[in-house]
Amino acid sequence: MNRRLRRWPREALRLLVIAAAVFVALLPLLWVVLASFKPAADVSQLPPRLIFSPTLGNYRTVLDAGFAAFFRNSVGITLAAVALSVGLGVPAAYGFSRLRVPAARVLLLFVLSIRFVPYIVFAVPLFVIMVRLQLVGTHVGLIVVYLLINLPLVVWLMKSFFDDIPTDIDDAAAVDGANRLQSFLYVVLPSAAAGVACVTILSFIFTWNEYLLALVLSGRAAQTLPVVLTRFLGGMEDPVRWGLLSASSVAVLAPVVAATLLVHRYVRAGFGGNAT
Amino acid sequence: MTSNDPPHARAPGRRARSVRRSARHWRATALFIGPTLVALAVVAVLPTLWAIFSSLFEWHFHRPHARAFIGLGNYVRLAGDARFLNAAWNTAIYTAVSVGATMVFGTLLALLTRAPFPGKSVVRALLTVPMIMTPVVSTLVWKTFFFEADLGLVNWVLGLAGIRGPAWVASSPSAMATILLVNVWFMTPFVYLVMDAALEGLPDEVVDAAKIDGAAYWQRVRFVILPMLRATIVFTVIFRITIDARMFEIIHVMTGGGPARDTEVLTLWVYNAALRNFHLGYGNAGGVALMVLVGTACLAIMLVGLRDMYGRTGAR
Repeated sequence: MNRRLRRWPREALRLLVIAAAVFVALLPLLWVVLASFKPAADVSQLPPRLIFSPTLGNYRTVLDAGFAAFFRNSVGITLAAVALSVGLGVPAAYGFSRLRVPAARVLLLFVLSIRFVPYIVFAVPLFVIMVRLQLVGTHVGLIVVYLLINLPLVVWLMKSFFDDIPTDIDDAAAVDGANRLQSFLYVVLPSAAAGVACVTILSFIFTWNEYLLALVLSGRAAQTLPVVLTRFLGGMEDPVRWGLLSASSVAVLAPVVAATLLVHRYVRAGFGGNAT
Repeated sequence: MTSNDPPHARAPGRRARSVRRSARHWRATALFIGPTLVALAVVAVLPTLWAIFSSLFEWHFHRPHARAFIGLGNYVRLAGDARFLNAAWNTAIYTAVSVGATMVFGTLLALLTRAPFPGKSVVRALLTVPMIMTPVVSTLVWKTFFFEADLGLVNWVLGLAGIRGPAWVASSPSAMATILLVNVWFMTPFVYLVMDAALEGLPDEVVDAAKIDGAAYWQRVRFVILPMLRATIVFTVIFRITIDARMFEIIHVMTGGGPARDTEVLTLWVYNAALRNFHLGYGNAGGVALMVLVGTACLAIMLVGLRDMYGRTGAR
């Protein structure tokens, strides 16, 4: 007790630094949420108005600007891309973890190495190829291309989850007469449910947030939200623009922030344990 | 990495059926892994090969039939192209500063939050927010609400102190400082998460500050804790380098490479050369150069940082 009393100034300092870090981490989010509920005329006011009568006016402006269609666009592309990556990547991870794969280490290294290539190297050829195939500006094109970002993550993370599950349960399933597919679907996969949740959320975040490939490949018809948002940049001297920017920013951020905070455990497992 | 043997392969009494079993096994392997490998071949290998191939040509997007093989000509041209070298320099500075700063801040934060305190799990969740926020959105928020020259919060606060702040994004060298600041804010949580998890794996009595007084604690960090985490640190640095060297959105949204190309990094250079000016061959040569530079840097760091990762080997 004596010792703890002597140490309190340092403990207080520690908590103060942590609080400051949390404040800096959250400041842009808090600020833009606050701004989005201000009356349009107040959004760019200095000194900043911290007391105001909250309004949904900015959100109404955003809806009037046809934002909902782009939101649906982003949701559709993201959900399809995540489903495709998880659907392909999880069985592959199981295969690498449980089956005798020729040159398994080389293949795994190849899959991992894709994460280390600058995406611009892929983006230029993909643009040329997709122009030829008339896939620029289509949902399908973008959904398939997002495999590039998500598959390596899904395969490596899921493999580490499968590796942690003892092979005894495979053996038990085999004794009961299950074939490989049944053993995977009904025995091993349910034990790796947390892993599936983890890779689903992470690929959701990465796909939703992706900008470069969307910018290059989405044409006009398949634009996702990050690409659409940069359009509000012009004419920032107009206060309505500030309101528009803040409300649409909040709409874009809401799904990823909500997903992360709700299931933070899985996100942390993904980054902390196995992502590097 | 686990053994890749199937669990039943060595079980007794099963060898007799091994031929039929192995045919079935091949089918299973193809079924589970095939689709992923095919998909990656199409979306990753094909484009990479095409990028390398096209970099050997004088090749304009709108004149595909006028392309001419020039061998390493594009690379020779790159070496004397002041705009490209400027971009390479900017990428090097940007990556070095950002990786260094995020490693220091992330590790310090992880050390600070190691000993228990009330609300620890909430704090850990909140600290990850910058990393998962859509980078385009957070960059727009920083750019307008905080760093706008006349209407931004930063210059207003500076103004209260009687300082006239610069036009952050539109002048040099503050433009580079501004994108670095946003990148450090964006990526520190990543380092924090990794280091936090790594510290969790170490025993309490090694890590907790509560045991001995300050100087001894920093000695312990320097000579015990950090050496124990060396493999994690090396891999995190490599991962961070690859992320920063390919960074596009923060810079594209914040400055577009300006003012006067002071923040044009290699990714933006390739984007401009290949997709704005449509010099596919030349632009892709720059992309391949970027890929090689990043790969070399990572390999060098791995060799130096993990020089004893094999432990003791035969010859002494």
